Amino acid sequence: MDLCVLRTFGLGLLLVSFLLISSAGGDSMPAVVTTDTPEYCHNLFVRISDAIHAATTPPPVEVVSLSTEGERMCNDGLTRGGILRLRRALMILQQQTTSP
Amino acid sequence: MRLFATAPAGAPLRAPELVEAHPPGDRSAEDRLSDARSSDARFSDARFSDDKPADDRRHLGGRPPGLLHSAGFRFAMVYAVLLALSAAALALYLWWATAGLLDRQTEAAIRADVQGLSERWDEGGLPALVLTIRERLEQNVDDDAIYLLVDPTLHPLAGNLHAWPSPVQRADVLYELSVTRAGAPALAQVQRYDLPGGYHLLIGRDVQARAKLRTLLTDALLWGLIVVGVMALAGAFIVRSLFRRTLANVSATAAAISAGDFSRRVRVSGRGDEFDQLAETINDMLDRIGRLMEGVRAVSNAIAHDLRTPITRARARLEDAALHAMTLDELHGAIERATDDLDGIVAVFQALMRISEIETGSRRVAFTTVDLAPVLADVAELYEPLAEENGLRLVLDLPSSSSASPAASPAASPAASQSASQPVPQSAPQSAPQSAPQSANPLAGPTDSLAANPPAKLLTRGDPEMLRQAVTNLIDNAVKFSPPGGEVRLSAAAGPAGVEIRVADQGPGIPPEDRVRATERFFRGEAARNTPGSGLGLALVQAVAHLHGGTLRLDDAAPGLHATISLPFGG
Repeated sequence: MDLCVLRTFGLGLLLVSFLLISSAGGDSMPAVVTTDTPEYCHNLFVRISDAIHAATTPPPVEVVSLSTEGERMCNDGLTRGGILRLRRALMILQQQTTSP
Repeated sequence: MRLFATAPAGAPLRAPELVEAHPPGDRSAEDRLSDARSSDARFSDARFSDDKPADDRRHLGGRPPGLLHSAGFRFAMVYAVLLALSAAALALYLWWATAGLLDRQTEAAIRADVQGLSERWDEGGLPALVLTIRERLEQNVDDDAIYLLVDPTLHPLAGNLHAWPSPVQRADVLYELSVTRAGAPALAQVQRYDLPGGYHLLIGRDVQARAKLRTLLTDALLWGLIVVGVMALAGAFIVRSLFRRTLANVSATAAAISAGDFSRRVRVSGRGDEFDQLAETINDMLDRIGRLMEGVRAVSNAIAHDLRTPITRARARLEDAALHAMTLDELHGAIERATDDLDGIVAVFQALMRISEIETGSRRVAFTTVDLAPVLADVAELYEPLAEENGLRLVLDLPSSSSASPAASPAASPAASQSASQPVPQSAPQSAPQSAPQSANPLAGPTDSLAANPPAKLLTRGDPEMLRQAVTNLIDNAVKFSPPGGEVRLSAAAGPAGVEIRVADQGPGIPPEDRVRATERFFRGEAARNTPGSGLGLALVQAVAHLHGGTLRLDDAAPGLHATISLPFGG
């Protein structure tokens, strides 16, 4: 009788564990961040190019180098590094346009 | 009760037989004796014998206590717990100041974002908010911002999350959210805000790097706590060893003394720390106990020595009378002389008991304010005939009330007080009083002149009978040792610190080497060997002086002795 009780208890424990793991797995589907993708990288590069063409003065050398390097890194699969450089280039451009 | 058996009529007188008589209901004396013997036996067993109790003590002293009952273990545990608690408190503070700071920074950044975006919503509505979110993402050089703006159907309008995360259900609650960044898992902290029109905004920060740093800090602190715990245990072991080693010194000394080696002393390390102070205190205590034991031994020897002579003498007289007395008168005379000897022994014991009683201080509760002037006058009057009989001049010197300020006042100066010297009439014509400045009648006693010119009050606090006894002892000694024709002066004055009673004689005095021991019980100097006495007089005087918070000082009067009792003021 004791063996039977133990077996029942063990099976119940396994079932509860399975349910808990299943429910936990269902709830913890990670959300995907979309600003780490090559598409976002391409969008940023296009935005920088538009800003350069719209500007009346030539862009700083640093902007050109950062945007070029960022595009190359995104094409090489280093998406987050490339996006980081493109963001810096965009910030420099915006600071140039807002400054007198 | 002991009775002498009567000799048969006509039979020669022989040694009286001691008969034990125990009338019914009168066994109290024997019972008391028996009780005293049994009490002595118990006392002896409990304090000084090497029987079972002492064996038990040695047994307990030699067996180390159990670990939980060990004081060293308790001290060590206290040390370990305190060290662990201190380390834990330090770790908590470090955690709060580092990992906690990172969390607080994240929350502050989210609150600042909420503030800015809320203002944009108020200024331009939904289009302005969408544009602002896009710009902030473009300018997010730190690459840690997370935004998501959704409509009432949870359709994304702006931001960098592909869908509304299902765990985020309640507003104003900070959620830990698992996200995927470039295919890699990461951790974010996000918070939901509800906007008018059923729109929802999610703002968060990527805290993956901070989570890694927090994990590193946690690991470092946990390992630090483990190291501290190990060090605490090691330190506790060292503390326990030091404690046991230090106590072993005291314990070994106590065990050696308990075993009979009273010469052992606790070793002093010389560091001058608390243990050295304890060792010195214990050694001082042992030295004092040794001196007391030596004193008890000396007194016991003195009692045995001083009482043996009169007891032997009384026994010899009784034995001689029993063997040789031919008449009843001779027998009675021998018995009377033996009784006198035994009375002397009783007097010695009474003096000893009185000294002991005084030294216990139990009589202090009966203290009252005493004017010493009439006490000294009474003593002088009492000894006036004896001094006259010995051909001595007894002078009473007290400050007079007419010229001196109140003698009991601490401000009174003895130099300023005018003496009222009262000589006692001398039996020898050549030593008739020559300096009796205020005595109208040279043959008048001290009390006659004192009545005409009463002395100032000399107030102290004490027992007048004991003070009278002390002064009586000094006068008795002075009269006893002064040569005929000499002068014994009893004076008193108020000094800066109290009242001083001085007895000066012109006898042989006490050699300097004997003065320190002169107040010991049964001490008798060479000059006093042939003078009647028990050697307890000065011991009693000193006991009385100490009981009253005063002192007894013996000085050389060249010739003679100055015995001065100093007592504090009272009143």
